[in-house]
Amino acid sequence: MAGRVVTVERRPRPRAMDTMGPLLILRGLRITARHFFRNLLGFIRREPTIATIQFPEEKQAWSPAMRGMPVLVQMDNGKERCVACGLCEWACPVDCITIYPAETADEVERYPEVFNIDMSRCMFCGFCEEACPEEAIVMSERVTIATTEWRGSLWRKQDLLMPVSELRTRLGHIRRSYERAGAPPAATGTDTAGTAGTR
Amino acid sequence: MAKITVDGTVLEVPDGSMLLPALLDHGCQVPHYCYHPKLTIDGSCRMCLVKVEGMPKLTISCNTPVRDGMVVDTRGPEVAKARQGVLELLLLNHPLDCPICDQAGECYLQDYAFEYGTREARTQEPRRKALKRVDIGPRVVLDQERCILCRRCVRFCREISETSELAVFNMGDRSVIDTFPGEPLTNDYSICTADICPVGALLSKDFHHKMRVWFLDETESICPNCSNGCNIKVGTARREVYRFLPRRNDPVNETWMCDAGRLGYRFVNEDRVRVPTVGRGATAGARPFEDAIDEAARRLGSAARADGASVGAIVSAHLTNEELFVLGRVVAGGLRTAQYDVVVRLGDADDFLIKAEKAANARGARDLGLGAGARTGALDLAGIRAAIEAGKIRALLVTGTDVWDAWGGAPEIFERLETLIVVTANAHPLTTLADVVLPGLTFAEKDGTFTNHAGRVQRIHRALDPGEQPSDGDVFLALGRRLGMEIPPGPFDPGAVFGEITRAVPRYAALAWSAIGPLGAVTAEA
Repeated sequence: MAGRVVTVERRPRPRAMDTMGPLLILRGLRITARHFFRNLLGFIRREPTIATIQFPEEKQAWSPAMRGMPVLVQMDNGKERCVACGLCEWACPVDCITIYPAETADEVERYPEVFNIDMSRCMFCGFCEEACPEEAIVMSERVTIATTEWRGSLWRKQDLLMPVSELRTRLGHIRRSYERAGAPPAATGTDTAGTAGTR
Repeated sequence: MAKITVDGTVLEVPDGSMLLPALLDHGCQVPHYCYHPKLTIDGSCRMCLVKVEGMPKLTISCNTPVRDGMVVDTRGPEVAKARQGVLELLLLNHPLDCPICDQAGECYLQDYAFEYGTREARTQEPRRKALKRVDIGPRVVLDQERCILCRRCVRFCREISETSELAVFNMGDRSVIDTFPGEPLTNDYSICTADICPVGALLSKDFHHKMRVWFLDETESICPNCSNGCNIKVGTARREVYRFLPRRNDPVNETWMCDAGRLGYRFVNEDRVRVPTVGRGATAGARPFEDAIDEAARRLGSAARADGASVGAIVSAHLTNEELFVLGRVVAGGLRTAQYDVVVRLGDADDFLIKAEKAANARGARDLGLGAGARTGALDLAGIRAAIEAGKIRALLVTGTDVWDAWGGAPEIFERLETLIVVTANAHPLTTLADVVLPGLTFAEKDGTFTNHAGRVQRIHRALDPGEQPSDGDVFLALGRRLGMEIPPGPFDPGAVFGEITRAVPRYAALAWSAIGPLGAVTAEA
């Protein structure tokens, strides 16, 4: 295909930039200096005025809608709520979840013998959480997942379990969002139920 | 033929047929649970209701004979509403078990509830409680809560397996499927009840909680475990076989298969030989494929040159026709021996599907002339054994490992040999005695054909990718080339070899590789 030449009229730079240049630099410096002294004052008075958060000593208060790393909800009896139904594995667009189901004598019959998440693949989309019929996998506030070797990004079931008490905010958020969407609430009963609500 | 009008379309259906099978044969989607083409009509699920003009109310199509000029409505608002009502009743007491139910993904109740049902339950009463995880037999587990009482399993046990283990107990709301006290579901076809169960009430213990069905890739193939050649679907995931399911082929296995055949898939996943080894016992070591073939050819070739009668071969009936054909050429043309025979493990048989010959291609091996009976003066299996014991046969090429049991599992027979070359897919006591072990592939990893006991040639398809590993056919070709045979270069091509078979074997002359459909093709009578 033949190329098409479009002549673009280039507007000249405003003359002010040339003559006022040094003045503008001074103006910028004034802003920097103002913030410096204001922050210094805040530091002395112990009333921080800066937005920088001193991670990891300080942590930001996330919105409940924030999606950190997916974790498995651990019930009060120490077991996972997951029944290894495989819906998150199916929903996952990057195939980062691997589940090997097995049978248990518990009422739920089924549990994940292996539940692996390859965090080097996970893209924090939250589809797993949305697909889960048991509220068993949720997007936590955990974001510190950096690792120095790639094997460290493979999270196994024991690493993924997080007590339900630490996840109440997110679980509440999920339920509220479902209610807003008009969908029936998930079958799961209370947070502390001994078994997942599969009946 | 009768002409009926279905949703405005005129269809020609056979006289005397029931309406539902006629509709299903023409691709009409009529939901149904209790109807099964190979079982008698029960009419208990009420799901296949259709409107027939002139009839006072909706009628179940599974039990309504077709009549010339019949006008049927399968989709109208009246039918849709009735279906919704039936579904609501069936779902009234059905547990919300889908996340832990193996049937999820291939469940008629799920499918129809999505297609025809309502989204929400109108009842608030607790659902009916019944027994879960009932151990009704060695291979099947029952969940009474999930049962919708279609009675397909009951009819199967009465009509197909003719063992009548299952029955409906109690009445009305309390009706449950169960076995009689002390009489578990033990028939040889028991897992078929799990197949035909439209919901997750009857489940195979072997597959229970192993894998979600939506992760399985299904490949059409043939059961490798006996000479009946039941048509199956091989369910694979994560580079493993998870299950066999029967596939309908009325002249071969209708829609059934035996438990032993169905559970005989583990050899594909377990104890595989993946790399060739050279050397016996402690001196055995892994070698590259080329080196191992060289060593095998050198040993067999020198034995054959010294004395043609000192070389024997054992032909496995688990190989495909194409591999057998190549093997036959290599043995006759490369080793120049007539001392070879087919080994087939024998087992129990019945008058339905289970055949005594426990290998899929016993008939094929004989058809291709690999049995000793096809050649005058050739030693049969017992003769080869005697010749080994007498020291006359000193080099043996063995395919498969069935010969071990055929000769009573006696290592001393094989220890007498100067050269033992084994081509097998699975590790076995025999492989520890071999001078060279060449890995083969299982039926799940290759394309080819099996000929069943009745002479039906049926295709198997590759369900698992063997990667770089050469197939048995490639092993035989490489062996033939090393033994000085004129074999054009190139990999083993089962389609091309089948063409050679049709030219070489009169019985197969009318067949063509591309013409073997999913239901197979029958060879000519002898």
